[in-house]
Amino acid sequence: MAEMWINMGPQHPMTHGLWNLRIKVDGETIVDAQPEVGYLHRGIEKLAEGKTYTQIIPIADRLCYGSSMTWSHLYCLTVENLMGLEVPERAEYIRVMAIEMQRIASHLMWLAAYASDLGLAAGFTYTMRDREVLIDLFQALTGGRLTYNYPRIGGVAHDLPANFERDALRAVDYMETRLKQYEDMFEGSKIFMMRNVGIGILKKGDAVNLGVTGPSLRASGVSYDLRKDMPYSVYPEMDFAVATHEDCDCYARYRVRMDEMWESCKIIRQSLKKMPKGKWRIVAPRTAPVGTGLGRVEDPRGEGMMYLVGDGTDRPYRLKIRSPIFVTVSAAPKILVGYKLADVVAIMGGLDMCIGEADR
Amino acid sequence: MKEQGGSGPGSAILFKSRDFLKWWDGVFEGVLRRSPVGSGIDYLTKDFFNWATRNSIYFLHFGIMCCALEMAVASAPRFDQQRFGIIPRSSPRQCDVLLVNGPVSKKLKPALRRLYDQMPEPKWVIAMGECAISGGPFYNSYSVVPGVDQFIPVDVYIPGCPARPEALLDGFLKLQKMIKENKKGLLTGK
Amino acid sequence: MAEKLLEKPAGRIDEVPEQRLMRGLLDHFASAMTDFQRLDRGVMRAKVERRELHKVCKFLKDNMSFEHISMISAVDYEDRFEIVYHITSYRDKLLLELVTTTPKDDPSVDSISSIWGGADWQERESYDLMGIRFNNHPKLERILLPKDYLYHPLRKDFKG
Repeated sequence: MAEMWINMGPQHPMTHGLWNLRIKVDGETIVDAQPEVGYLHRGIEKLAEGKTYTQIIPIADRLCYGSSMTWSHLYCLTVENLMGLEVPERAEYIRVMAIEMQRIASHLMWLAAYASDLGLAAGFTYTMRDREVLIDLFQALTGGRLTYNYPRIGGVAHDLPANFERDALRAVDYMETRLKQYEDMFEGSKIFMMRNVGIGILKKGDAVNLGVTGPSLRASGVSYDLRKDMPYSVYPEMDFAVATHEDCDCYARYRVRMDEMWESCKIIRQSLKKMPKGKWRIVAPRTAPVGTGLGRVEDPRGEGMMYLVGDGTDRPYRLKIRSPIFVTVSAAPKILVGYKLADVVAIMGGLDMCIGEADR
Repeated sequence: MKEQGGSGPGSAILFKSRDFLKWWDGVFEGVLRRSPVGSGIDYLTKDFFNWATRNSIYFLHFGIMCCALEMAVASAPRFDQQRFGIIPRSSPRQCDVLLVNGPVSKKLKPALRRLYDQMPEPKWVIAMGECAISGGPFYNSYSVVPGVDQFIPVDVYIPGCPARPEALLDGFLKLQKMIKENKKGLLTGK
Repeated sequence: MAEKLLEKPAGRIDEVPEQRLMRGLLDHFASAMTDFQRLDRGVMRAKVERRELHKVCKFLKDNMSFEHISMISAVDYEDRFEIVYHITSYRDKLLLELVTTTPKDDPSVDSISSIWGGADWQERESYDLMGIRFNNHPKLERILLPKDYLYHPLRKDFKG
């Protein structure tokens, strides 16, 4: 049969962000794959060396725009690690609540794009409409729809607005009823199940060796979640389960993300109940000491890390960002080989690419 | 142009298709484009075609960064751009509008220029978000082109970081008004 | 925030995973590893000679169950380059920060992409942006910038 290279080029409706996937096909079966990133490279690491510590927070938001609260929180954690700051407890609870709301919003965004790619257009409309409920909460809390600029070094920017608890609990109740309806809709659709079950197997050993983290790793049977295993912030006080699945296919990745949304609803309820009164921010020093700081979070897409080198001035010396999607994209050749061309959409969509953070 | 083909009972007159197209282009240019017949047809149909063009704007499904999520949300039930006839298409050959919604890096610049060249006339460009207008928060980066109007002519600028979906709809409506004001006949281009 | 562990840990009973790690590394590579520090609960930092890096990483993966390479960073100081490896152990819930130094005129180190496949693209990124050469890398070429770009932007002498 004829072998040829096909370019799923930078502009493609499936890609969700710009990256190039060159696939070598033999008839209809995939033989080899070469991903290529870099079309969104903005040089954030170099930009960060010229800005003060607080000026980088909005830039960190725009690293991964699907879950921007996580990245600015990660940056603030790193700077607080470098400076040795102790954040007030109320701020920690507000941050955790905001991050879990962001996790649900990010997974809903993924589900919308995934469903519309696989042909289930009703999935797109329903999930987008429910994501607006969460976006309304974020607008009340931070003032922004997509990039928030809300965490600060030493806490959060401002306190919860009036009636926020009542609105948030109402939203979480609504979300739980809708999640049940989504499960029925997606798992009752024969086409969705046929396109997902048994497709895109990524074995446990391969996943660990290739550096894949996050829901894709937990869908291959490795139960590693940074919020439980190396916890940060007030996660030790929260009671939730780690969502894992044993089949290593696309259906497992979908199932892990749905379970994570359920667990996030639980965490939001607990953080609203346990939130103490008090200060929500301390004033951080302007200059950082000489040394290094490390921050790690469980991003909705995997393990995010930042490494910060301070040199005694009010600007960083070096900021290094670890993006989970950068490493997951490099695992694409391993997962794609042997499947048909039409499965590329399901497999690469199931890995939840947000190329903004891969290219930085 | 015409050849006698074969000498037999059913000898036909053969056209080469290339010659046929040249003949048809000549007819088209002469009769329809430059003569009063063309202007007459344009005068009668200009309003109708303009109404059709501005009420069915197809933009290219090309999402670069954060504003792309707001572009996707504009198709969602709350903002619903499809009620104005605005639908995303996947292929640049089928689109009217190129919606640039993110910072253009130096690696992306040739690809974007090629996409713009592949679109057929009439075409418009909307720069959505600060990054496309001027480079945005990354204007002084070594790898970002400060503004997409450095290499592509832009018709509508939509500010915001990220631009709200309502702002995107407002931008599309302004484009519709622009198309209405610059009515051009399809045949003669006037 | 960092406490130095100056003495070698004593026995095997009641041993914290950090101490077991330190003892394992010092038993096998005493000459190459220096400057152990405990940064946080479960986070350790150590310096390693760049010639021994590949052997140390292989030992960490095979014997001490460090299955996952988290991050490879490169920092450009005035007199040296520092390459920082963050390696995670899923079994023991540990993070080890390994720091190796190279001189300014020869920024090259052995590639560890044969040990962990996840290091492949991260090393390419360090080469692309900082100019560190990784010996024995299967395909060391630019990844984020255009292929014909001439500079390494994250170096301090690049004014963009």
